[in-house]
Amino acid sequence: MNFLDIAFIVDDDPIHQFGMKVLLKKVKFSNEVLVFHNGQEAIDALMGLLDRGEKLPSVIFLDLNMPIKDGWGFLDDFVKIPHQNREKVTIYVVSSSINPSDQEKAKNYEVVSNYIVKPIAESQLTKVLDDMGLLDSL
Amino acid sequence: MTISKSILHHTSIPFAILDHEQSFIDFSKQWLSMFDLKSNIKGQKFFDSMPELPEELKLDINYCLEGIKHRSDSKRMVQKNGNAVWYDWKVSLLNNNTTNSLNVLVILEDVTHKRREEDLLAKSQQVARIGGWEVDLIKNTIYWSNMTKEIHEVPKDYVPDLVTGISFYKEGYSRDTITQLVNEGIELGKKWDTELQIVTAKGKVIWVRAIGEPEMVNDKCVRIVGTFQDIDKLKKAQLQLLNIEESLKGTLENSSIGMALVARDGRFIDVNTSLCNSLGYSKEKLLSLTFQDITHPDDLEIDLLLLNELIKGKRSTYQIEKRYFNKDQQLVYVILTVTAARNVDGEISHFISQIVDISSRIKAEKKLKGLLELTTNQNNSLMNFAHIVSHNLRSHAANLTMISEFATDESLDEDIRKDSLGMLGKASQGLNDTISHLNEVVQVKLETDQKLKSVQLQPLVQKVLADIQALIEENKVLIEIDVPQKMEVRGVMAYLESIILNLVTNAIKYKDLNKETAKVSIKTVEKDETIVLTVADNGLGIDLDKFGKKLFGMYKTFHGNEDARGIGLFITKNQIESMGGKITVDSQPLVGTTFEVVLLKNHQS
Repeated sequence: MNFLDIAFIVDDDPIHQFGMKVLLKKVKFSNEVLVFHNGQEAIDALMGLLDRGEKLPSVIFLDLNMPIKDGWGFLDDFVKIPHQNREKVTIYVVSSSINPSDQEKAKNYEVVSNYIVKPIAESQLTKVLDDMGLLDSL
Repeated sequence: MTISKSILHHTSIPFAILDHEQSFIDFSKQWLSMFDLKSNIKGQKFFDSMPELPEELKLDINYCLEGIKHRSDSKRMVQKNGNAVWYDWKVSLLNNNTTNSLNVLVILEDVTHKRREEDLLAKSQQVARIGGWEVDLIKNTIYWSNMTKEIHEVPKDYVPDLVTGISFYKEGYSRDTITQLVNEGIELGKKWDTELQIVTAKGKVIWVRAIGEPEMVNDKCVRIVGTFQDIDKLKKAQLQLLNIEESLKGTLENSSIGMALVARDGRFIDVNTSLCNSLGYSKEKLLSLTFQDITHPDDLEIDLLLLNELIKGKRSTYQIEKRYFNKDQQLVYVILTVTAARNVDGEISHFISQIVDISSRIKAEKKLKGLLELTTNQNNSLMNFAHIVSHNLRSHAANLTMISEFATDESLDEDIRKDSLGMLGKASQGLNDTISHLNEVVQVKLETDQKLKSVQLQPLVQKVLADIQALIEENKVLIEIDVPQKMEVRGVMAYLESIILNLVTNAIKYKDLNKETAKVSIKTVEKDETIVLTVADNGLGIDLDKFGKKLFGMYKTFHGNEDARGIGLFITKNQIESMGGKITVDSQPLVGTTFEVVLLKNHQS
């Protein structure tokens, strides 16, 4: 049994996508892991779920540098979704950028829970679950 | 006797004959008119008809009636109405043999007018400090008036002679000059009027104006009369003024600041060397021009406006930064200060312009600006590079770390671990690619200093198009070329080829499939010291508001195109900048994109 229902990975790097999927599966993170190659694909998917009245992902792992619509563009669109519809969605920025200005900028988005610098480790995913209070419930 | 008497009556001498009782016996017409009397005074008492006469005259008449033959005097008296009157008189005793009675002849003249002029003359001589002198060459005497003595600072009883007179002149120029003038006067009768210095008896050196007029009789000089004027104060003031003028002129001429005297219509009245140097004109040429002739048209209006305010008296001076054209029609940047100069009537006679040439400062500023821009660009490109290293290398490193852990994690399924090995290969390949891209960039940066050569653009464009002939045909792209022959730039052949190739293939790659024909136009035009290469397409376009800043960054892709590596424009930009050029972009989504590449023109040496 997994902890969560749905998790999104938004990243254009196939190697990272592969790694995330492996790790998420290992920590039994969620029943479903959906992968998107850029911010636009992810926003389109979210809109589709909202339109159909389906459940939104619990966690979104968001890369910053992507073509077409980058992580910032995604966040700007995401905050436009009415609050009551997205309040259960937790976003983690997962980027290889150690540029302090990127980390500062990410803090300005209330919807971003944390900023994780790549490479992401198994322990960090466990901590995400712990922060959501899921590990205690076991 | 009757005739002679009547002649006497008509002479212009004012006379009257009185009897021993001092009553009028006779008088001339001149007497009546001078004292405004009528002929009915005959028989009347002299002092009854003319009460306002000096007492001294009364006394003199009495003296004569008592037997003294002649009395004469001159007196001033103030009349009851306050007027001062001068009288000259002569009284003579007339012996009438027939009647044996005593009569007197009185000649009385009102000389007030004459006296006043003499008085004024004396006074004005006193005030103007003009003295007289006279040399009698026959008697060999010399006469100095009191004022002349005063000027020489000698006592009133001083007796001068010709030699001592000359010896008062200051040794050297003054004494030599006066000696020569006096000699020429005596020998040739030549007048003189000169300004020289004397040393007074008290040792004071003063300036005098000496005028001499010889009188010649039978070609022989008998006498010289002249005046002698103390002009020390005037002369010193004049000399001081001259001195000031000369030092002003010297200041103006030798000033490192350009200076000009400008007439009201803008003509140059006088200019100094510094201004000539700044403008490259000779003084003669500049004096034939007006400031309007050499002022940059954009700066003329404000200059004339301010000048007009100066003329109207709204301001007394103004200062502006303006541009002139020099002899070679090059711009000269100056700070101009204009002041109005007025004549004695307070009207503006001309303008005084001070012109500080700041061309070199402006040039330095421009150079500095250029350097700043270059530095900013280099800094940005360094930042970009640092970012690339930190971000792109890190992302590969992160992947390698993550995946390599899977390979050793025995809790993972065998097939995942196998896939991980494949991924490991991909990750290291990615790292390798990035390093070789970075290497390309470093190469461009390192070769910045490599010798730039002259490159002909036209054959190069033809070569690039021939190389991608297949791609053009496959995409059915219409290529328009407007590249004149003999357009030469300073650059590196390989870079230029790569730049053109990259821009043209990008234009083809991002064509808009909804348009009937994909078009790409390649154009070059000369602009000042540069050649501008334009590559324009009617393709998909780029949203510059969103991506403009990142367009030339490394690993930036915008269209999600499979082939996009996000490396081309980054290298292109680096190559262009290493050749001293610039690249800019203009684009509208679904309309098209235009890249403008500014390259340096090649100068034939």
